[in-house]
Amino acid sequence: MLTDSALLTLLQWVSPALPIGGFNYSEGLETLIAQGKITSAATVQDWLSFELTFGSAHLETAVMVRVYGAIAKADFDAVHQWNAWLSAARESAELRAQNWQMGTALINLVAVLDRLPPELQTGQPYPWNVSVAFCIAATLADIPLETALLGYLHSWVTTLINAAVKLIPLGQTAGQVLLRQLQPHIQQTVQQSLKVTDDNLESSTLGLALASMQHETLYCRLFRS
Amino acid sequence: MAGWLGELELAYAGRQGQTIPVRAYASAPLKLQRSFYPEGRRICHSVILHTAGGYVGGDRLHQKITLQPQCRALLTTAAAAKVYGRAQIPVEQTIHCHVADDAVLEWLPQETIVFEGAQFHQCLRIDLDPQAQVGLWEMTRFGRTARGEAFSCGYWRSHTEVWQGGVPLWIDRQRIEGTTRMLTAMNALQGSPLMGTLAWVGREVSSEQIQRLRDLAMQIQGEMGVSALIRGVVCRYRGHSMGELRRWFVAAWQLLRQGQDSHLTACYPRVWPR
Repeated sequence: MLTDSALLTLLQWVSPALPIGGFNYSEGLETLIAQGKITSAATVQDWLSFELTFGSAHLETAVMVRVYGAIAKADFDAVHQWNAWLSAARESAELRAQNWQMGTALINLVAVLDRLPPELQTGQPYPWNVSVAFCIAATLADIPLETALLGYLHSWVTTLINAAVKLIPLGQTAGQVLLRQLQPHIQQTVQQSLKVTDDNLESSTLGLALASMQHETLYCRLFRS
Repeated sequence: MAGWLGELELAYAGRQGQTIPVRAYASAPLKLQRSFYPEGRRICHSVILHTAGGYVGGDRLHQKITLQPQCRALLTTAAAAKVYGRAQIPVEQTIHCHVADDAVLEWLPQETIVFEGAQFHQCLRIDLDPQAQVGLWEMTRFGRTARGEAFSCGYWRSHTEVWQGGVPLWIDRQRIEGTTRMLTAMNALQGSPLMGTLAWVGREVSSEQIQRLRDLAMQIQGEMGVSALIRGVVCRYRGHSMGELRRWFVAAWQLLRQGQDSHLTACYPRVWPR
């Protein structure tokens, strides 16, 4: 059950105002918009719904289920191992740097606001990914797993829609319509993530890998991924 | 009908600067050609042959490759691998490599052609000791596009993992399903039948080398990307021409192996298409 204080903490962790730098990243959207492949709200929706169902967000959420379970059992070694696994699974240097930067910023906030176990202060051997730091924050606040995953994906989708709104550009209302349209995909991704076996931890991310690698050499960049 | 249960075991050792195969075992449909040394005794080249002409549903192939300290092996295949699509039963291939300190494995199979309806699952796991390196690539064609065939049903799962001293350096678990969405979405194949991945893992690759890999890609048609791994580099291709893909990957591989050992000269295994 979601208590009032857990709900309020969740709203804090998913707020776009959270000072962990999410607004700096487009996860390949800047490349695709510059290349003229994404030009409208409909193409943003295609891109994000694919990432949710088969791509990066699908894999991320499935790993978060494991991380959340490991923290709940106080199996801190497993938390570090899944964090290493996710770090090694990043499609590009920029996406890895983004996750490590945001993950470190988030865990530093958690350390200020909550009682962070000393074993979870710093990711080993790699810095925390933002999704792993989010799982740590969620368990400390007693936010139930599925609620935490819904919140994480909502925050992820919002950040990327905001990037698209700025870059294409789209109207603010179009951005809100998009967010609402993606709701069923978010819910489906969370349900799917609970069923994925370890052997089936996989995704289709060739397009994301190319877009994010090509971002490193994009001539004019507003975003850091 | 149950498919083949093929096994292959290869081990190499370093002896006074030479690489000697110390174990070479293969069971049908896999077969090993005699090892040879086109670059001198330091680097052993081995060619793996699939004698049945292609993989059919139910085939399970296991390969185990070990490089003892201070040796160097280049492995390739005699021809493109075909994964037939009729049976609707998965083909499984697992390859486990262990590379000891100061050894270098080059895993450079020819391309895989995944026929319409094929169900293919490959797991390639490489365990590196702290001073070991691996160069590898994978080139895949989805559907026999020359005959107008699309990969409209079936699936392809390719799990590649490189670990060093028990820590993951690179996890690449890709899945492509034979659906219109996968074939057309810009997140996946975007209408291109070819996908290629090349990586060199186990040592830092400088930003100058990464830039040179990108420069090589400038002359190639298709979509390319290059990025640093935690300890290494990865190159990706999506496009229509196997010739272009091979041309970039051969040039990139030669650049990377020369970056690893400047004494190496350009080499082109004779079984590869000219």
